Amino acid sequence: MGTKDETNGFKQGLPKGAALTADPWEEALHKVAESADRAAFQLLFEHFAPQIKAFLMKGMSSYADRSQAEEMTQEVMIKVWNKAASFNAAKASVNTWIFTIARNTRIDFIRRNTRAERKIEIEDIWHEADSPEPIVDFQQRRVEVEIRNAMSTLPAEQALVLEKAFMESKSHNEIAEELDLPLGTVKSRIRLALNKLQILIDR
Amino acid sequence: MISYHPDSRFLTDFASANLPMAQAMCVSAHLEFCGKCRAHVHQLKEIGGHLLSQIPPVAVEAGSFEQLMSKIASPQPLPTAPSAQAHNALTSIAPKSGKETYLPRSVRRLSNGSLQNLGWAQFGKALRIAPLPIAGETLETSIYDIKAGGQMPEHEHRGEEITVLLKGSFSDADGTYSRGDFVVRNAGEAHQPTATQDTDCICLVCLERPVRPRGWFYRLLEPYIQYRLHSLKRNGATH
Repeated sequence: MGTKDETNGFKQGLPKGAALTADPWEEALHKVAESADRAAFQLLFEHFAPQIKAFLMKGMSSYADRSQAEEMTQEVMIKVWNKAASFNAAKASVNTWIFTIARNTRIDFIRRNTRAERKIEIEDIWHEADSPEPIVDFQQRRVEVEIRNAMSTLPAEQALVLEKAFMESKSHNEIAEELDLPLGTVKSRIRLALNKLQILIDR
Repeated sequence: MISYHPDSRFLTDFASANLPMAQAMCVSAHLEFCGKCRAHVHQLKEIGGHLLSQIPPVAVEAGSFEQLMSKIASPQPLPTAPSAQAHNALTSIAPKSGKETYLPRSVRRLSNGSLQNLGWAQFGKALRIAPLPIAGETLETSIYDIKAGGQMPEHEHRGEEITVLLKGSFSDADGTYSRGDFVVRNAGEAHQPTATQDTDCICLVCLERPVRPRGWFYRLLEPYIQYRLHSLKRNGATH
């Protein structure tokens, strides 16, 4: 994570509206969707595949070795190729869209490796719930920009718990166990962080 | 009007996909009713997207892109292929009549589109329970159907219980709950839910451990209840 000053300085230089359209990966994804553009897909691959692999390796340490992370990264990228047309820039950034695909691929992989029931599919549960109204979508994107900007201002202990939850794929309980903290402390650190990001869940 | 929502722990663990399937299914069911919590989950995923963009990358193997493109050129059935099939089959589990449109997608899947397909065990006049087959889980997940005006036996929780109201409403000493509400009870809490008079109440219930009914009648009954529910599970809850 960049230092405070760098990130803020950079963001402040951008007009408010510009940040909304400053997602450089949208165009590449649209080219893949519209004309199966291999060059655009290669750009996406070179940027995202190493991030996806890093994410899968962090979250899967007890389930997968390096070679499986490689294979799963390809699985995620095949989904990016196949689903490119379903990407909706009004709803989420490319980062978030790819995070969602990688996240679902990870839990699907865990399930394949346990003797869990296959009758229910991951997408029956972690689906893109039927869309909120367009106005909400627009506000959504503005909120996203604010979340991104505020992330760099979080105190280290709050940033750490979010990192463990979203990148290392640990539940509140697992984080509490690992950091040897009471569950209530983990919960309040996450809640404080979310409040700073203006994600106001528990009122 | 939905008054009870999952807290930040449930929503965060859901958005990062770190909830057990059964509990995730309860959150997901709530989300189908609640636009506000859907928006929160979107926001939480943005944290994931942002952190992903900041992660120290790990290089992929040489030739990985070419290998990927050859996979795309000649599609092999992915290990996830059943998921795609299931996707296509979703229309077939869409409610046929207008009657069961309230069922969340996961429940429609597990019941092959209708609650009538589930194996039900009747308890007294007012209550019937159908266990949902989510194997590989230590949590008990079921659909409860309480007749209009019917009262459930008073029971005490030995573990966390999540109830999502799918249809109708019920009340207990603490309040009245209606469609979409996400109600959590913790270990040691006792309550006696009663369905409202005008309509049957249908709930998705996820239990950490079986609850202990209070009162001599239900204590006598409990081993029988457990036996019935387990035999239903063994035989597969759907036909």
